[in-house]
Amino acid sequence: MALAAPPPAGMTDPTQRRFRGAARISEYEVMKEKLGEGTFGVVSKGVSKRSGKVFALKKILMHNEKDGFPITALREVKLLKMLSHPNILRLEEMAVERQSADDKGKNGKKRATLYMVSPYADHDLSGMLTNPDIRFQESQIKCYMQQLLEGLRYLHDSHILHRDMKAANILISNTGVLQIADFGLARHYEGPTPQPGKGNGEAVRDYTSLVVTRWYRPPELLLTLKKYTPAIDMWGVGCVFGEMFERKPILEGRTDVDQCVRIFKLVGSPNESNMPGWSSLPGCEGHKEWEQRKGDIDQRFGQHLKPEGLDLLKSLLCLDYKKRVNAIDALQHPYFKTAPLPARPEDLPRYQDSHELDARRRGQEKKMNLPPAPAGGTVGMGPDEWNPQGGPYGGNGYHNGPNYPRDRGPPRRYDDRRGPPPPDSSRQPHWRQDRDNRARMPPAANGHGLPPPPADLPRRPDMRNGPPPPPGSRGPPAGGPNVDTYIPSYAGGRGSREGSYRDPDAVPPPPSRGYRDDPYRERERERGPLPGYDRARRTRSRSPEQEDMRRARLQNRERDFYGR
Amino acid sequence: MAPITGPSHLVNSLASPAHLETSASQLDGVPKDLEDSIRFETSRLLQATGILLRLPQEIIAQSIVVLSRFWSGADGMSLLECDAVDAAAAALYLTAKPSATPLSPRSLLTVLEYTSTVSPHYSQASTGASEPQWSLSEGSYETARDRLYATEAQLLRTLGFQTHVALPHALCINYLQTLQVFKAPSSDGSALAKRAIKLLNTALLSPQQLFLTHQPPALATAAIYLAVREEGVNLPDVEWWEVFDVDREELGFLVVALTSVEGFAEREREVWGDRKVPLTVGEVRAEIERRTMLEEGE
Ligand SMILES: Nc1ncnc2c1ncn2[C@@H]1O[C@H](COP(=O)(O)OP(=O)(O)OP(=O)(O)O)[C@@H](O)[C@H]1O
Ligand SMILES: [Mg+2]
Repeated sequence: MALAAPPPAGMTDPTQRRFRGAARISEYEVMKEKLGEGTFGVVSKGVSKRSGKVFALKKILMHNEKDGFPITALREVKLLKMLSHPNILRLEEMAVERQSADDKGKNGKKRATLYMVSPYADHDLSGMLTNPDIRFQESQIKCYMQQLLEGLRYLHDSHILHRDMKAANILISNTGVLQIADFGLARHYEGPTPQPGKGNGEAVRDYTSLVVTRWYRPPELLLTLKKYTPAIDMWGVGCVFGEMFERKPILEGRTDVDQCVRIFKLVGSPNESNMPGWSSLPGCEGHKEWEQRKGDIDQRFGQHLKPEGLDLLKSLLCLDYKKRVNAIDALQHPYFKTAPLPARPEDLPRYQDSHELDARRRGQEKKMNLPPAPAGGTVGMGPDEWNPQGGPYGGNGYHNGPNYPRDRGPPRRYDDRRGPPPPDSSRQPHWRQDRDNRARMPPAANGHGLPPPPADLPRRPDMRNGPPPPPGSRGPPAGGPNVDTYIPSYAGGRGSREGSYRDPDAVPPPPSRGYRDDPYRERERERGPLPGYDRARRTRSRSPEQEDMRRARLQNRERDFYGR
Repeated sequence: MAPITGPSHLVNSLASPAHLETSASQLDGVPKDLEDSIRFETSRLLQATGILLRLPQEIIAQSIVVLSRFWSGADGMSLLECDAVDAAAAALYLTAKPSATPLSPRSLLTVLEYTSTVSPHYSQASTGASEPQWSLSEGSYETARDRLYATEAQLLRTLGFQTHVALPHALCINYLQTLQVFKAPSSDGSALAKRAIKLLNTALLSPQQLFLTHQPPALATAAIYLAVREEGVNLPDVEWWEVFDVDREELGFLVVALTSVEGFAEREREVWGDRKVPLTVGEVRAEIERRTMLEEGE
């Protein structure tokens, strides 16, 4: 077997993972240094006070009054908890930050901040590639590609689509181990998993096409295919592969249409032979006609790559998503078997830390000596995109805003992949409010600030205000003939025995719900014995171990909501 | 060999036998049989509510497993700390949230209000025999929704954020295909499949927490074994379950456990009759108290 990376220490069999607990953030020394800016908040570096080990802490902001635990975070945590592979970022634990009493939300409720704790990686690939001090050897690129493909092979085999492949979401440690991170857009895939020699298979259902950061978005998504397959992640691998040679994203589209134009310039425009079925796709923001092009991939990458490498790049950047190579087959590609052979991770050089944000910072410094970028010049970055009267790109169909009215997904939510609305958002048309927050960031400084990531998944229209289905419409809820369960029916002809046990003098039960009016209030420390209940008898039959457990439980009661 | 682990979406986090020896509720003084009754009743409540909400059985089943994780072990949640009906609501809400069929708090809480009023006569819900309550005032909706979010947080904390549940249902169909029951001329493969799936849904209600102690392949195999017996189908006279990596001992245990659910349910019906099983902390306390007084009165 090909893969070189050793399993990170502490990697466990998922079946053995405990399903209890969250730590306290106070168990970590949180550093000022920001590693990245994620969807939910910031990613910071932290040192465990217990072990001295370094971790990345990804903040999940909780606004308790919205929908409870944020859905994107829930998806990400759920997937990460389930996955176990050397080339997939490991979720160490969840940590909770107790908010001070005066830091309350608008209903006077305390908010909790949760952190996803993962082992710290010294670099992300985007940071490395924009660091002028780092140069990759081809053996090194091969080593990373192999690990990236191993990770994806495992993901796809586990029925998961990542849907946000890009250099910034690929972490690299100083021991040369590569890990796929950021599962905020990932989801379960229902179709058959890729098989050797068979491409990426056929999807069995629709998914939202508003996924994948634009520069890494495959042609089928840009042309609005909804029944997409693991092939969408493979396109991203191709983009990342090329990026490792050019040291910047290879397809920096300014708009979705421009993204298509750039793709077709590189690999040729679509026709029935290189992308069967393309013309029956809805197209990109209404565009269905494209200039005939042959593609300049040979010229552009011929200088970097020998024939095997070029062939692998082309099979990853294959317009026809049905023919695009899958991860299993890519790993078998002759590229990995010809000189220079892939390096071993442990033999790779070590570098100073570099993350995507560092790159942006570096750029920022340089930027100060440069003339200001033209307004909206870097599309997705220019402040004018927020101008309702239309900046350079306003209302001309180049936005991915107005053309997706039904696909825009939910109204703005705190947990989606966009930021808070701009200050004057109330005066902006709704679709503009839905734009990615990066559109409002200062112009990208390093020459390639990131384009907007996709909007979050549309939600199923909810049943708000609607009555529940009429009780008679579905047959008996349980135990009836239409139901695949045989919960024994309680509908016996037996008379009511209700009165026989009822004690009219019974002490009314204490109100059980009052204490929950403040959801973040701590749990009661200790309760008195139940009224009328003999405590001695209650504990008599308990073993000493049980008493210990009980004591431990009582101590734990003071822990707050998400705490262990 | 490279250190590659198999796809882990097919496995569950299991509870160790030590973990299941006791529970927070028992440590708090809730008698085991009362705990079993409440767990059984909340599972039925989830099943009925999920059906009315038109949720896929997959989500309903997963929520039942999530709920049983919540109550299990000394470090789980206690029935004297959290209302069982709230926990059930949160389990369903949390399970549906990242799925293709998320629930709005309003539809969930409204339907739950309805099912709670017809409890325990879920199967009579459609006959119109009872006068169900199924509207929530704005005020009580808001209170209930806040409580839902709070319980969701509690649930996540107690589960250590482990919300993934692998079910044996699809596996069971796979196994039946492997056994070629759909091809055999004499047997009705689809009747067999239906029976096996029913058995798996029944297993969700077992007081033995089978989904916390056994992996999906074992559950699927046991359901097939029993379905074959009940449907009188002939399978090759070999130890076919070994193909699915299940040993005779585990299979035997599960078959007995599966067969006993019906008797358990029957007893529950006799014990509770028309009385409602306590589903809130207050009701649980009152029930414990009532039992104590009965005992003392003897
Ligand atoms: N374990 C880690 N070690 C080091 N850096 C990390 C780690 N996890 C995340 N980062 C840094 O933080 C950045 C953002 O993290 P991540 O991609 O998980 O967040 P996100 O919310 O999904 O961001 P995005 O908006 O790009 O989707 C990464 O690009 C990386 O630079
Ligand atoms: Mg990211």
